Amino acid sequence: MIIRRVVGKLGSLTLTLVLASALIFFSRFMVPGDPVSFLLRGRQPSPEAIAAVTEQFGLNLPPWEQYLRWIGGMFQGDFGRSLQFRDEVSTVIGDRLPVTLGLVALAAVMILVTGIVAGTIAALNRGRLPDRLILTVLTALGAIPPFVGAIILIAVFAVQLNWFPAFGSGDGFFDTIHHLILPSVAMAISFIVLIGKITRMSMVEQLGREHVQVATSRGLKPLTVVRRHVFRNALGPIFTVSGLLIAGLLVSTAIVESAFGIAGVGSLLVQSVNRLDFPVVQAIVLLVVAAFVIVNAIVDLLQPLIDPRAAAGEAGR
Amino acid sequence: MTLLEISGLTLDLPNGKRLLHGIDLTVSVGETVALVGESGSGKSLTAQSVLGLLPSGAQTSGQVLVEGSDVLTMKPPELLAYRRSTAAMVFQDPRAGINPMRTIGDHLTEALRLGEGWSVARARERAIEVLAAVDMPRPHDHLRQYPHELSGGMLQRVMIAGALAGSPRLLVCDEPTTALDVTTQAQILRVLAEQRDKRSMGLLFITHDLNLAASLCDRVYVMNDGRVGEEGPARQVFLNPETAYARRLVAATPTITVQPNEVPAPAATAPGPAVLEVRDLTKTYRARGREPVHAAKNVTVDIRRGDALGVVGESGSGKSTLARMIVGLERADAGTIAIDGHTLKGQPRKRVDRLDRARRVQMVFQDPYLSLDPRMTASQAVEDALHLHHPRLRMADIRTQALTLLSSVGLATTQAEALPRTLSGGQRQRVAIARALAIEPSLLVMDEATSALDVSVQAQVLDVISEIRRERGLTILFISHDLAVVRRVCERSVVMRAGEIVESAPTIDLLTRPQHEYTRLLVDSVPRVMLVGGNT
Repeated sequence: MIIRRVVGKLGSLTLTLVLASALIFFSRFMVPGDPVSFLLRGRQPSPEAIAAVTEQFGLNLPPWEQYLRWIGGMFQGDFGRSLQFRDEVSTVIGDRLPVTLGLVALAAVMILVTGIVAGTIAALNRGRLPDRLILTVLTALGAIPPFVGAIILIAVFAVQLNWFPAFGSGDGFFDTIHHLILPSVAMAISFIVLIGKITRMSMVEQLGREHVQVATSRGLKPLTVVRRHVFRNALGPIFTVSGLLIAGLLVSTAIVESAFGIAGVGSLLVQSVNRLDFPVVQAIVLLVVAAFVIVNAIVDLLQPLIDPRAAAGEAGR
Repeated sequence: MTLLEISGLTLDLPNGKRLLHGIDLTVSVGETVALVGESGSGKSLTAQSVLGLLPSGAQTSGQVLVEGSDVLTMKPPELLAYRRSTAAMVFQDPRAGINPMRTIGDHLTEALRLGEGWSVARARERAIEVLAAVDMPRPHDHLRQYPHELSGGMLQRVMIAGALAGSPRLLVCDEPTTALDVTTQAQILRVLAEQRDKRSMGLLFITHDLNLAASLCDRVYVMNDGRVGEEGPARQVFLNPETAYARRLVAATPTITVQPNEVPAPAATAPGPAVLEVRDLTKTYRARGREPVHAAKNVTVDIRRGDALGVVGESGSGKSTLARMIVGLERADAGTIAIDGHTLKGQPRKRVDRLDRARRVQMVFQDPYLSLDPRMTASQAVEDALHLHHPRLRMADIRTQALTLLSSVGLATTQAEALPRTLSGGQRQRVAIARALAIEPSLLVMDEATSALDVSVQAQVLDVISEIRRERGLTILFISHDLAVVRRVCERSVVMRAGEIVESAPTIDLLTRPQHEYTRLLVDSVPRVMLVGGNT
């Protein structure tokens, strides 16, 4: 049963990645601008130079052959060569990946912890003052786009209070965390409302269930009832939405990293788009797609651990 | 010895609405007391107040004394201990009442482990003991199972076992068998009676079913609109009700008891040609990784013009699938369906086919809260159907027709302009009937059309149906789990089990001389009061 599910998931995952890779690769042929002219920018290129560069990057081949070479290379860890850095794409991205992953992880933890705590408090006080207060604050925060949040946070906590650095990603573990706190807060604030509201909704729904009343009628403490019968049962939707959140977080890194001057994958993406560095752009976009698809596949596969009915193929109720 | 004594209990909601108006009620040790009433009568609230489970912000006065202490004034820790060891409650729907994400063992032991501080082994031992007490076949294995692995009847036993786990003195049962099939209901009632006698518990039994109350309980309280209307020994209340409300309730309650001199009601009109001819209809559901389910196996059914045929069966018998195939919502694997001699092929695909099918057969669904568009008024719903099938009629004529139809099901003009949410369940079901009749179908299929309604409302809707049958000679396929209701409507009935028709006969004969053993089991499982000199 479990094995069949995993195999089925892997199949659809592969198909999604193949389709995404084709879409990503061929879309570059629709973008105006010629990579060769960027490579030779600022010079008066001779026809021989153009031919040599074209040859070197394989730009003379028909598109589908370029695609197959690209895909084939990726299986050997070769994502092509960056046009701007004159280096391997894998090296360029590999250098910047850890800081971005750290940023996303830190933001995700902040979102989940604050969102779930706020949503739970709101659900348990539904209709009363704490509920309304939390919903209002979360919604207001959700309306702050990351770049505005970044500017405010830098102005207050870096410039005025001087608690956190405003720039760069730091050295060593604790210094890095110290540097990444403001950027991850900037990323997190607009997403907390999502997790908060899902948690509240899901818990309010469970609170109205008859099994919660049954548990209460059996003399369990109210907190025990909430922990064992409300929160546990409400986890499914929270889990699913958390998986979907990954896409938003990865996209946000592009803005936040630029704002905080962090040399991560997000700022690299912005830079590479500006400079028509197609191999880097394609590799990053494919990575984002892959991360999104894989995280959500894992979320799906873990559902039966939360809800035993999912394992039996019985949805609903 | 008095176990539970409720005196002068009132309950007000925060908005000032009074739901209970001074309830007085007693239950003695070893006694079974029924609290009977229709929805909104306050019977469930009364039951919940015994466990101290009140709506948030509700104000109460009066007393709920259990073994001398007042539940309403207990401090939280006392209340928790009281719920764990003195009183327990069995709820209506075990599917909803047992957490689907935790195991049966967890359900049975959590109050003992987390509340009473028992060791896992000791709690487990008690869980196995109570599972055996409610006749579960494999107590050890059930502990590891999840609720979705058990049937509804099994789960209700688990719920009862859970209530028994704390060895309560008082067991409150809130409609514990309403969600179950009639044969399962009989088993659950036996288990309850057994445990009551063995543990000499007091039993407060809440039900809407007078037959059930009178057959199981010593005394009956009839509740109406937040008050106790009548109280007395069960047989007396059932056979000689004193108050007008109790009399109405008894009269409205369908029964399967056949009077010795009763003859089958003649058909409304002389038997005409066959309207519905179903031949060898077969349908199998195949889900991957599971046993195939036979929803219909060579089902053959005929209805003549003006007749009403009952289809009786328990859940999973295939009766609803049969209805859905006839209406065209589901495709049969094999066999034919003909209406007015016209063979219907599969599911209608094109607009013309769909309209044609709709003119031949219409369906009234179980839940009128779901089957009406919440944004359409009653008359709009009927006009909509008329307009669809008679596009050339003028709007004024359509409107007149709609109002006529609605008045023929007993709805006034003011109700015709109302949105479904302002109508009661019975009124909604009448709108659904009027909408189905608007198209003047050859056949009307009613799938559990009165099951969601209170008995008095059900009686009114059944009256509307028989009146329309008299006036229009309507042909009806009436599907129900309830033999007593089928008997009020249908001259002939078929009994279905696991997709097969096991018996087909005049309804009276099914009740008095069942031939098939399954029919006999069904009839014997229906609770009823033993009448002096009666024939059952």
